[in-house]
Amino acid sequence: MKRIRIIKMNRFQLPVFALTAAALMGHRAVRAEEPEGIAFFEKKVRPILSEHCYSCHAADTNASGGLRVDDRNGLLAGGKTGPAIIEGDPENSLLLQRVRHGNAKRQMPKEGDLLTEEEIADLTTWIKDGVAWPREKIPASIGRVRADYAALKTSHWAWQPLSKPALPSVADSNWPLGAIDQFILARLESSKLSPVPEADPVTLIRRITFDLTGLPPTPAEIEAFRKNSSRENFAMVVDRLLESSQFGERWGRHWLDVARYGESTGPSRNIPYPNAWKYRDYVLDAVSKDLPYNRFIQEQIAGDLLPAETPAERDRLLTATGFLALGVKDVNQRFKTRFIMDNVDEQIDTVTRSVLGLTVSCARCHDHKFDPIPTTDYYSLAGIFTSTDDCAGVRNKMGGGGLDYYDPAMLVKLATEAPEPPAEEVARLQAIVDETKKAWDAIRGTPEGLKPAANGKPTQRPFRVKYEAARGDLLALSDPATRGYAVHGVREAKKVGDTEVRIRGEAERLGPTVQRGFLTAFTMAEVPAITPGQSGRLELAQWLTSPANPLTPRVIVNRVWQHLFGVGIVNTVDNFGVKGDQPSHPELLDYLASEFIGNDWSIKKLIKTIVLSRAYQLGGEAPAGHQEIDPANRLVWRHSPRRLDAEEIRDAMLASAGRLESKPSNGSPVRELRMVELRDNGPEARKIQEQAGRGLSRSVYLPLLRGLTPATLEAFDPVQQTLVTGQRDASTVPTQALYLLNSTFVRQQALALAERELAEADRDEPDWIRHAYLLTLGREPSVQEAARAEKYLLEYESAYRELQPDTSPRPADESAEPTAEEEPVNPDDIDRTVALVKEDVVQPKTPKAAAWATFIQALYASAEFRFVR
Amino acid sequence: MSIYKPSPISRRSLLQSASAGFGYLALAGLLGQEKARALTGKPPLNPLAPKEPHFTPKAKRIIFVFMEGAMSGVDTFEYKPELQKNGGKSAPGGGTLTASKFSFKQYGETGTWFSELMPNIATHADKLCWLRGLHTDTPAHPQAVVQLHTGSANAALTRPSMGSWLLYGLGTTNQDLPGYVTINPSPNFGGAVNYGSAFLPSHYQGTRLTDQGYLPNLKAAAANGLQRKQLDFIQEMNRDLAAQPGAPDPVDGIIASYELGFRMQDNVPELLDISKEPQHILDAYGVKDGPTGSFARQCLMARRLSEAGVRFVEICQPGWDHHNNLNKGLIDRCGSVDQATAALLADLEQRGLLDETLVLFGSEFGRQPTAQGPDGRDHNITGYSMFLAGAGVKKGFSFGATDEFGIKAVEGRMHTNDLHATILSLMGLDHERLTYRYAGRDFRLTDVAGFVTKEIFA
Repeated sequence: MKRIRIIKMNRFQLPVFALTAAALMGHRAVRAEEPEGIAFFEKKVRPILSEHCYSCHAADTNASGGLRVDDRNGLLAGGKTGPAIIEGDPENSLLLQRVRHGNAKRQMPKEGDLLTEEEIADLTTWIKDGVAWPREKIPASIGRVRADYAALKTSHWAWQPLSKPALPSVADSNWPLGAIDQFILARLESSKLSPVPEADPVTLIRRITFDLTGLPPTPAEIEAFRKNSSRENFAMVVDRLLESSQFGERWGRHWLDVARYGESTGPSRNIPYPNAWKYRDYVLDAVSKDLPYNRFIQEQIAGDLLPAETPAERDRLLTATGFLALGVKDVNQRFKTRFIMDNVDEQIDTVTRSVLGLTVSCARCHDHKFDPIPTTDYYSLAGIFTSTDDCAGVRNKMGGGGLDYYDPAMLVKLATEAPEPPAEEVARLQAIVDETKKAWDAIRGTPEGLKPAANGKPTQRPFRVKYEAARGDLLALSDPATRGYAVHGVREAKKVGDTEVRIRGEAERLGPTVQRGFLTAFTMAEVPAITPGQSGRLELAQWLTSPANPLTPRVIVNRVWQHLFGVGIVNTVDNFGVKGDQPSHPELLDYLASEFIGNDWSIKKLIKTIVLSRAYQLGGEAPAGHQEIDPANRLVWRHSPRRLDAEEIRDAMLASAGRLESKPSNGSPVRELRMVELRDNGPEARKIQEQAGRGLSRSVYLPLLRGLTPATLEAFDPVQQTLVTGQRDASTVPTQALYLLNSTFVRQQALALAERELAEADRDEPDWIRHAYLLTLGREPSVQEAARAEKYLLEYESAYRELQPDTSPRPADESAEPTAEEEPVNPDDIDRTVALVKEDVVQPKTPKAAAWATFIQALYASAEFRFVR
Repeated sequence: MSIYKPSPISRRSLLQSASAGFGYLALAGLLGQEKARALTGKPPLNPLAPKEPHFTPKAKRIIFVFMEGAMSGVDTFEYKPELQKNGGKSAPGGGTLTASKFSFKQYGETGTWFSELMPNIATHADKLCWLRGLHTDTPAHPQAVVQLHTGSANAALTRPSMGSWLLYGLGTTNQDLPGYVTINPSPNFGGAVNYGSAFLPSHYQGTRLTDQGYLPNLKAAAANGLQRKQLDFIQEMNRDLAAQPGAPDPVDGIIASYELGFRMQDNVPELLDISKEPQHILDAYGVKDGPTGSFARQCLMARRLSEAGVRFVEICQPGWDHHNNLNKGLIDRCGSVDQATAALLADLEQRGLLDETLVLFGSEFGRQPTAQGPDGRDHNITGYSMFLAGAGVKKGFSFGATDEFGIKAVEGRMHTNDLHATILSLMGLDHERLTYRYAGRDFRLTDVAGFVTKEIFA
């Protein structure tokens, strides 16, 4: 049973408590705030820290060991070697252990005088008494409800409950095939616009096949639909497409855009997520199986907290939480408190924009400027995520290299147990690790070690390389994560609780603590109460997917609409806030959202309802008068053409060439990477790029390391994998022309298809041409087009015989082989002049094949190829 | 006397005149389409067409000479007599002061000090405009490099790079070339983020070249005559499509983009082929084969690109992270940088380009005047310098200063945001008005900060 509580009241009362009695701040904070304690700190303790420690361990220094002592949380979180202070426990506080005399190697401070016995005694008292620290002066605005919020809450359409609109009446009652058409036609009629006729079958089969699967229809499918394009048959085509695995690959990719999926941390040091592909496969599978959308969201936010009957189901649910973990992370962040709060922010942004279409992140530093989202709401959500371990497998550290950023403890272990590795081999490798570590520790940082060797690099360099390699070998054998028995995801933190407002969003500047909870921008009758001792993620998931939540169903229905019509009913698909777009058909949006909930949140049923409408099946003509009145076609008087996505363009070439392969067996080439920094043109990155360039699987399976977009996608606006992106660009730039004219990939597919066609001995030239048009453009050529193609082929072939074909190697082929595979001591040492990848040579065997390959390539390169209409 | 001879035909006029080819707006119906796109919130069909700046610009183009890894100031451009006197003594903030091993002397009428490592750049002493009070937020290369390039070290939200903002704000004059080029950028430290467009449309991102002029897919796949034949076939199909009722809006743009791409196959390699430069120019820059000639090649390519109208060119010399091997390391790096940079300045001036081109030279932060290990210096984010030269800035001028040892900026302090605000202002853009709405808010290169340092304006 859910326990219900009205959080709104508490939240409004909060600032009063916070500012007067500190009653909500918890036991330790209260002790830390007593005036005597503060006075003692200012008089005795701060001078010690500032005199002896600040020059190496403060915010504006190079904070040695990642520790800063000018911030209470910095001391508690500690640096590389763990927390510097344990409240109330001087004996176990590292800070005291280090400043005490007699521990020569670890003695602090390293420079200047040692602390006096009296100073050490003061530090001891201070720690024992609860680590008093003056609190920030809290700006009066925190917790005060902004005057304009109440009006915003009642006036803005998006946070009002779903309405149950009645179907509008229309003059032409024959036109609507269902409710959707009735809403569309009513708006058109009121604007004195009549819809254009429906699309012809050949256009429609291409449209529906691309829209649902991201692939072109085969010539046989086109032919079958042309013969029978009845509504019943169209519905059967739709069912066939919805049931295909290609549907999951296409629509799963839509969600991956929104989930800002990527297989590495991104800037500023790029560390791979070797098991991220499992989350990708989870998404594709969930979409294929039409997992109800509410359940889909619940699993991704709180899969670890949902019941599972089998280990396999448990693994699936754990994998789902990759949604929260696979964001951009700055592992080079010096301070753990900032690392944590930046990641929390990234999670809040991802969850709220993807599911709610709200930009809650804006409230990290101040009350939201446009939407009624006070900064206290932000930290109510933040408390849920600070109570959650972000198990991406990385830790923060400034500087460093090799496996320094890898933290296997911060991964989610799967329920399926890894088989025991052979003990003898592990022992053998462990011995090598110990030995190489000893050697490395001995020389590291010594004058001898730093002396440049013959190659100009420090003498110690090879010692480190050996040690890192040994560690890598050992991990490959013994580490469950490296062996694939762990995923990037989340789990409940050991310590669960509310968190403080951070003043101006600065991680160290603590304001009042706020109770964990959800947004107050809109009210819901029943709000789940957070179970004591838990993070609140489960309840967050329930709150997000409650049928009473006005945003979640509207946002997803609008995303689906956009993928089918090119423009959403709300154009700003990721922003339903005050600064977002107004819906073009508000009643239709609510109607669809209500139906969607009624149909058990089924995406497939929603899609089917939409594509069976007449509105979806309209033709693409654009009468001038219509263009004048509604140039953007917001009212849907026709079907707007859509530029294919980067993935569709690549996949369509492979599919037409008959080379498209199904899912790769190994998941992703990224799984072979160790969790060490990637460099744009380092050997690991180059290898991945080459694999991506040669891969024949669907684009959704290409490796997607952040900042290393596969070249076969790059030209056509692939998604930036950094933030929630519900809408892609469709730019027109000359690099696209160059890619289509010159790239190895395009020419390879063109040649493959040309050779396949020419091998069909029982066909003649006109047959070949006709078939090529069907395969690439999804239609037959007109008589003039066929004649033009024949002429082109003839002329090109003879010109090819005459002109010496340019077979000189491409620049990439000339590039020197990468020399050293070892990672350089200094990133500067990388040779930047080498080309990114080695490319294959595409060489037709005969002049005829050459002519045909360029003809197929021209079809790929034509503007028509890249649009569905 | 000058070693530079003016070239008989201005390459600039040649290349710039070729730009008429794009001819977007001449195409019938495009204006209406642009209107429709504006109504759906879509970007214009030719987003790279030149745009009106906010006010009269002082500079038209930028060449950013990036010294990646943090060059030591007190050994090159920052003469600190107190440091030289007090080597070996304790520094105020901790550590041991370490005097530079290199000797300094004064150059030009301004009497600006340069160390013996930079004798060639020193000859331009009276042209340079120094910013000596810079400071930034993070003493780690990856974040500081990203911040210098994008204004923000906040990794959770990748921001557009400076060059992308400039293209977004100003467009570019030569439609036959990319408007934003970066040569040999850092493969890590943010990598592509440093020339990426982030949430700005992708055509604003930087085009990455190597110092060999390699650009993917630029080399024609077939002999010219053959490829033209193929292209004609493609364009016939495209024109058929464009003539159909209800054709997709961008087809006209696609037709134009093919012609541009086709021309780029010839124009760009020709532009990047420095081998045809006269020998005295090659010698002046110190161009030679192999890795040691990399930076000189970049400088010469930068001049050629800038001359042809590329809005923003960045070149990069890594290898300044001298935690150890400081002295030999500096001799080595300065050796490759000093001559070529000086030649670039002289060459630009000789061609009359320095009046409209802003050159920015420097690192993501500086290095300490104190010792690190036997022969090294650690990072310093509290005070360091860069120089500007050329369009819009005072000549032989110095703004701001660090303390007597070079630890902290004490006068004319400029944060990275201030640097960006100032650069945008020189280019005719108000950093507070150059915004892009994304994820519910208006973003700027300078985030919510930044002051224009008008004191340095000529």
